[in-house]
Amino acid sequence: MLDILVSQTANGLVLGFIYVLIAVGLSITFGLLGVINFAHGAFFALGAYFGWQLFRWFGWSAVILAPPLVGLVGMALEATLIRRLYGKEPLLSLVVTFALALLIEALIRVIWGADGKPFNPPPFLAGIIEVGPLLITKYRAAVLGVTVATLLGLWAFLAWTPYGRVLRAGSRDPEMVELLGINLPRVLNAVFGLGCALAAIAGVLAAPLWTVSPSMSANAVMPAFVVIAIGGLGSLSGAVVAGLAVGVVTALTIQFWPEASAGAMYALMFAIMLLRPRGLFGEKWERFE
Amino acid sequence: MNRFESTKRMMLGGVASAIMLAAATLAGGACAQESGPIKIGLIYSKQGPGASIGQFLQRGSELAAQQAGMKALGRPIELIWLDENGPEGSQQNMQRLIDENKVVAVVGGNYSNSALAMMSVANRAKIPLILPGAAAREITGKDCSRYTFRTQATVPVQINGLMPYVQQVGKKVYFITPSYAFGQDIVKSARAGLPAIGATEIGSDEVPINTADYSSFILKIRQAKPDVVIGGLVGGDLSNFLKQWNEMGMKDKAPYAAVAVTDTDFWDVGPQASTGIFIKPWYYANSKNTAAEKKMIEDFQKKYGQPPSDKTWSGWIAMRALLESIEAAKSTKPQDIVTSLEKWKNTDGEFPFYFREWDHQLVRPAVIVKVKSNITDKWDFMDFLKYTSDTPESTEKAFGTKEEVGCKMPAL
Repeated sequence: MLDILVSQTANGLVLGFIYVLIAVGLSITFGLLGVINFAHGAFFALGAYFGWQLFRWFGWSAVILAPPLVGLVGMALEATLIRRLYGKEPLLSLVVTFALALLIEALIRVIWGADGKPFNPPPFLAGIIEVGPLLITKYRAAVLGVTVATLLGLWAFLAWTPYGRVLRAGSRDPEMVELLGINLPRVLNAVFGLGCALAAIAGVLAAPLWTVSPSMSANAVMPAFVVIAIGGLGSLSGAVVAGLAVGVVTALTIQFWPEASAGAMYALMFAIMLLRPRGLFGEKWERFE
Repeated sequence: MNRFESTKRMMLGGVASAIMLAAATLAGGACAQESGPIKIGLIYSKQGPGASIGQFLQRGSELAAQQAGMKALGRPIELIWLDENGPEGSQQNMQRLIDENKVVAVVGGNYSNSALAMMSVANRAKIPLILPGAAAREITGKDCSRYTFRTQATVPVQINGLMPYVQQVGKKVYFITPSYAFGQDIVKSARAGLPAIGATEIGSDEVPINTADYSSFILKIRQAKPDVVIGGLVGGDLSNFLKQWNEMGMKDKAPYAAVAVTDTDFWDVGPQASTGIFIKPWYYANSKNTAAEKKMIEDFQKKYGQPPSDKTWSGWIAMRALLESIEAAKSTKPQDIVTSLEKWKNTDGEFPFYFREWDHQLVRPAVIVKVKSNITDKWDFMDFLKYTSDTPESTEKAFGTKEEVGCKMPAL
């Protein structure tokens, strides 16, 4: 029994890292722009489709271009639609981005069709690694590595670079940042693009694991919202802790009560919300409270 | 004539005129219904993990109507397609088709839980409903209805066809099934059949629908070390499972055997991850397909540039049965269509298939297929092994007796 518990916990942590990667872009978009992006799952799906298309045209190495391309799509949408939502009721951004999610899913269906696209891990990442009771596939190990590297890079970017400092300052006091002569609209445009690109990284990495189909966004967006609700809106470290917790709770529920596995993350969220309504690492934000 | 009398006459005249106008309108309406297009509702998934399946079902139904010249009783046919989006949504769409679109019949319902919800509306409104999917036994069993017909073989029939192959593989069986009526029926039917093949159950997991990650389920199965896994995952869920089953190195370790699968589940994951032995209603690359089925394949390929899936066949045969029954009834009245469907018989193949009058189940064998060890074609992933039964008598027997099925068919 101990073996399977260790094995399921480790598997849950790996699954949790996939959830973290999906959620972190959403967290950044909300934390820095104040926009609840319900279309985040659609950008996740778009990343998977761009990755599949680039793979079909140019091979595995071209897949790396999918996230920046999705980021550019996100920037275009921010410039035309999303920036009108800044400073407005969070509910408005939820409604508009929900419509955007439906539009993107419909466009995917029109362009690529309703059927799924066969996309499996690359041959050099096929196979499993077994260490004692632990079992991890080589592909999931690679996903883990890419996720950790992405999170570290993101943290370093936000914490240590001048651009990161502008982003954080802009999210707290946009007027002051503009008074300092910084072109804030351009900065915010880049932030939204970054959030979309992060969703696309998750989409590209999940594509060989999950079916690439127009509805795949639904598999991403709900866990992402649960993760940021548990972790605290806008908190990067909260998203990491909550994502891992959701992964482990889901895996252990599958072991002991499989029928309830889909609801396990919601039960966890409910418990956390009761104890700490703003989430584990959520701050009291003057903008929203 | 005093003023009161005059007013009274005017009022009576007005009422009489209104009654005449209403009668004329009703007569005109009836006339329009008799001469206007025959509206037929379709309820197939348009979104979510079943969207691909829904599209193939819709294309099959549409093709049957097109092959009939988009006409029945000399009148144009109008197909109205609404979404099969869960039990509540499907039920509402069924009601909409009847109330707003005034359909004469509905073809649709791929999922057992949606089908059961739609059946209650069909029953109440007395509108014929032909289900091209939905294999849970109660649909033509204890919950059977005079207005509902089903083309897909029941779960017990499919499981009985699968068990001899399970016996060949091994004795230790693990179940992984969706957590709704259809999945529970698979477990119930297969458990009943295990003693006969000398097999034992070593584990069983019910999986919530729309599960994206199966790695934890696969770890459990891996630890249990079964000889064979019996499943019933559907659509995107099966595709996700097969992808991760292959990713976690299980493809060649324990065979996966399942019922009610569809070709798109495999086309969506590609040759690399496809594996297993399956029961399905039909397969396009089966040399025993009838001339009408071959014509359907040809027409479909011409139109869509790819072969039809078994869901195309299911949508096609359901619509064909309906249109042929309307023609035979020479009427679009629901009761006439139901009576005609009860007498409908397809004689294209080696032996006829038909809706059994006392439970409305299409009595026709399903096909047993196995994923090829070396897939070289973009679409042809399966080897046809055999039919679940091969004589009219054994087919009728496989679908159970009145006592076994438990349908008490209500009056029209």
